[in-house]
Amino acid sequence: MASDSTLMASTRAEWIKFRTVRSSVMGVAVTVLLTIGLGVLITTLVRTHWDQLSPLRVATFDPVSSSLRGSLFAQFAVGVIGTLFITSEYTSGSIRTTLTAVPNRIRLIVSKCIVLFITTLILGEFVCFAAFLIGQRIYLGVVPTASIANGTVLRSVILAGLYLTLLALFAFALGLILRQSAAAISVFVSVLLIVPIIGFFFPQNWQNDFMRFEPSSLGVSMESPFAPSNTFGAWSATFVLLAYVVATLAIAFVLFQRRDAGSNQ
Amino acid sequence: MIKIDHLTKRYSDTLAVDDLDFEVKPGVVTGFLGPNGSGKSTTMRIILGLDHATKGQATVNGTRYAELRDPLREVGALLDAKAVHPGRTARNHLRALAASNQIKKSRVDEVLDFVGISSVANKKVGTYSLGMSQRLGIAGALLGDPGILLFDEPVNGLDPEGIKWIREFFRALANEGRTVFVSSHLMSEMAVSADEIIVIGRGRFITSGSVDDLTKNAEGTVLARASDHGKLAALVVSHHGVVHDASDDGLTIGGLTSDQVGQLAFDAGLTVFELTPQRASLEEVFMDLTAGAVEYGSQKRDPAGG
Repeated sequence: MASDSTLMASTRAEWIKFRTVRSSVMGVAVTVLLTIGLGVLITTLVRTHWDQLSPLRVATFDPVSSSLRGSLFAQFAVGVIGTLFITSEYTSGSIRTTLTAVPNRIRLIVSKCIVLFITTLILGEFVCFAAFLIGQRIYLGVVPTASIANGTVLRSVILAGLYLTLLALFAFALGLILRQSAAAISVFVSVLLIVPIIGFFFPQNWQNDFMRFEPSSLGVSMESPFAPSNTFGAWSATFVLLAYVVATLAIAFVLFQRRDAGSNQ
Repeated sequence: MIKIDHLTKRYSDTLAVDDLDFEVKPGVVTGFLGPNGSGKSTTMRIILGLDHATKGQATVNGTRYAELRDPLREVGALLDAKAVHPGRTARNHLRALAASNQIKKSRVDEVLDFVGISSVANKKVGTYSLGMSQRLGIAGALLGDPGILLFDEPVNGLDPEGIKWIREFFRALANEGRTVFVSSHLMSEMAVSADEIIVIGRGRFITSGSVDDLTKNAEGTVLARASDHGKLAALVVSHHGVVHDASDDGLTIGGLTSDQVGQLAFDAGLTVFELTPQRASLEEVFMDLTAGAVEYGSQKRDPAGG
């Protein structure tokens, strides 16, 4: 079993690898742009059209999740970051060099997960806090605002950032299973976009049961101070998503351990 | 030392490596020779723990590679020069490798200098020529100053100057007491760069030994030019010799020594103009050894070639 010092060494190496390719840097930039940029756009639109909203919309208006909406677009960017972190090793063949340096496969995957978890957590929390704070500033004076000092609001913003982190790890696991960038990203996008559409064709009473297990509605639950009807509460949603990530990573790891890494087969 | 212990590797329906069993000793350059597709790369990947053996095992210094703590300090390998992320610079690539095995950072510049790519170390690897990538791969192999080195087809893509450089480099590594294991499908390359040779074909062990041993045991031929080639050829065949090639320039005779051919010609009253024993080149030995072991051989061997 790997000692702590070697785990530290391989994690440091993965961090160097993460920050020295353009795809990760671009992914981070797009995540910032989408979460904060779309947050500014959405909150500005709400502010300018506030007097035209129906009384029902006004009564159910949530200043927290509306300011965090951009993260539901940024989830695709973090998905790409997570996927490419492993699939680029396969497309370039560098996985062979990587495994020659770190032949202990569990240590390698743990190191990659640590790097991905820490970077996307910092990134996710940064963009969500920024989008929230900027959004409330834009709402100020016209639209009701929320305060970060409120525990429920704070939880929503933190879990919105964690949602992006968990999706990056989920995408990483898909990448490790499929070993091809295009295939892994397609499956990732399908899970987030196509699965809800399939659920739409189910009978109404099944629909509610099915849809709340779907990752993007888990995301909505996580970033809403009050759970929408027929969905999980914020913490339950977090645990369901965490269970998906752990299960997918476990499958990915078993396959990774069993497969040959040398040949391109 | 590398030890291959009854190693077998099967990919779904093809047997890539079939019960290989040999050792690679320190202090000499050991060539690993076989036609393309004969299982050389597979064997090297199993040594490095990249592929799993179906049966048997490979060990380095008595340990399975996957169990080494900082493997780059014990084994350096260059399998595929292009197995590097094209978007990363050479320096960052080596820096990450160094970090993973707790090798000090200054070593990165040392190896970059040694292989002569310091001036392009901050360029993305994707812009490199194959020769430059080979040099980067060699730099990566040397990073941990390992006692065992593996190179898979290292001269591919190198210019003549680079080939000369790499031969001297292998020699120097072996002289330092390191184990140097180099694969190639080119006999001529091995003849000049290796001390010991292990020949495989279709995943199976064929022979091993020093370059001299291999050619010594091989059957030579005799080139004979005489007044009547037809008569001489008939004599050779009747004395259990073989005529490999017959033309106006002479006969290439196998199975008989030059003394025997000379005597035959003399007894038959033929005038002999030329009688030259020809030692088999290593290339010919290789072709003979691996004939039938070539996975995708051409239908007929060019009699003039080889």
